[in-house]
Amino acid sequence: MIWRADTAAPSPRPAVLPWAVYPDWDAIYADNVGRIYRLMFSKVGNRPDAEDLTSQVFTAALGPLRPGAEIGQVRAYLTTTARTVLAEHWRRTLGHQVTEIDPDILDLAEFPPGAGESEAGEAGAQAHRILEALPERYRQILTLRFLRGYTVRQAATELGVSVANAKVLQHRALRAAARVETAQDVRDEEANIGGEGEAK
Amino acid sequence: MRRQAVDRYVDRLLGRSRPKPFSATEDELALVRTAIDLAAAGPDAHGPSPAFVDRLRNQLSEREQTQEATPEPRPAWRTPPRRRFLAAGALTATGALAGAAADQLLQDRGQSAQAQQPAASDELVPVTGTWQQVAQTTELPEGAVVAFDLGTVTGFVRRTGGRLRAVSGNCTHQGCRLDLDPNRDKLACPCHGATFSLSGINLTRPHPGAPLPALPRLPVREQGGTVQVYAPAAGEPPQPAA
Repeated sequence: MIWRADTAAPSPRPAVLPWAVYPDWDAIYADNVGRIYRLMFSKVGNRPDAEDLTSQVFTAALGPLRPGAEIGQVRAYLTTTARTVLAEHWRRTLGHQVTEIDPDILDLAEFPPGAGESEAGEAGAQAHRILEALPERYRQILTLRFLRGYTVRQAATELGVSVANAKVLQHRALRAAARVETAQDVRDEEANIGGEGEAK
Repeated sequence: MRRQAVDRYVDRLLGRSRPKPFSATEDELALVRTAIDLAAAGPDAHGPSPAFVDRLRNQLSEREQTQEATPEPRPAWRTPPRRRFLAAGALTATGALAGAAADQLLQDRGQSAQAQQPAASDELVPVTGTWQQVAQTTELPEGAVVAFDLGTVTGFVRRTGGRLRAVSGNCTHQGCRLDLDPNRDKLACPCHGATFSLSGINLTRPHPGAPLPALPRLPVREQGGTVQVYAPAAGEPPQPAA
């Protein structure tokens, strides 16, 4: 018998024994804090906000979640809480739901629990999809700045341009990337409506 | 002006500091979304810092203690359905979980305040199975571990910090029976080499990837000089094992 919190579309990978039980609160926390942090980071893109939102999720879940809870239930509850917390974050800051969490699709089990265990899977794939569609120069500046953590100065040196030029290049590259991503979203939506879209 | 606001937002994102809110147009929101998607593949995405993980753990722990010390009435939706959670846990541990119980658990959250018993009977009272002896009290001094096999349930009981704790003795990978390792401080799976701490946390696993789920915990108590675990009756006498 397989338990699911809802009747939504099946997750892409088989869940790992979601009916096993967390022995205590520490186990709930230890197993999920990294997952929630990574989830939040993929939705806000910066450490201070990701840490704040992770704290909010666990603080909100502290009362309702108790030792003896099943892993699947705990993760479903944390994911649902994360959705609410993220929505509130965007309402408070930019006033629009810039990114969102869909608990029916998202599976926390796919977010590695510890630090540095693997490349950011889905996030990495999305970044590469965007970058691949860009001209070489744009791809270079965005890769250096976003994926490798270079400063503007370091990136400028690497590309052999002035700092001012690097800033302009980055701005244009990001605008082009946003257009690419928007176009990809539209294509995905059309494919889904047509019922001939791929799994992702 | 606008261009500066969204640029500052992106700069702070890249500077690894908290971006500041601004009044964004649709195009700027798309730009922010793309910047986030790219940053999500960056160096900080690899996981939380250990300092943050520790700090939050301490905050939560303090908060939990405060809550326990001064129980305050919660709104209905926050009421912990503790009875249900633990009852589901006990049933799972004994391999007799009715899946419906789990579904109800989340669905009933909103009604749990009305459904719960008065506070006086907040102690858990499992509804199936019986308490079965797994060891004599004298066999379980502080720090000791005893394996048991009740027919329906196998597991390990130990006394630590003066408290008894029992976990299932079946690996959460493929269900093989775990062995107590020679140092008596870990449980090892003979099938694929997974190991668990005595509290049930997965320590090593057969394949890279997500850790295995923790071992289910079993209800345990001490009565009349014996240590007892709550498990379904097997129709045969309990067989304490060494």
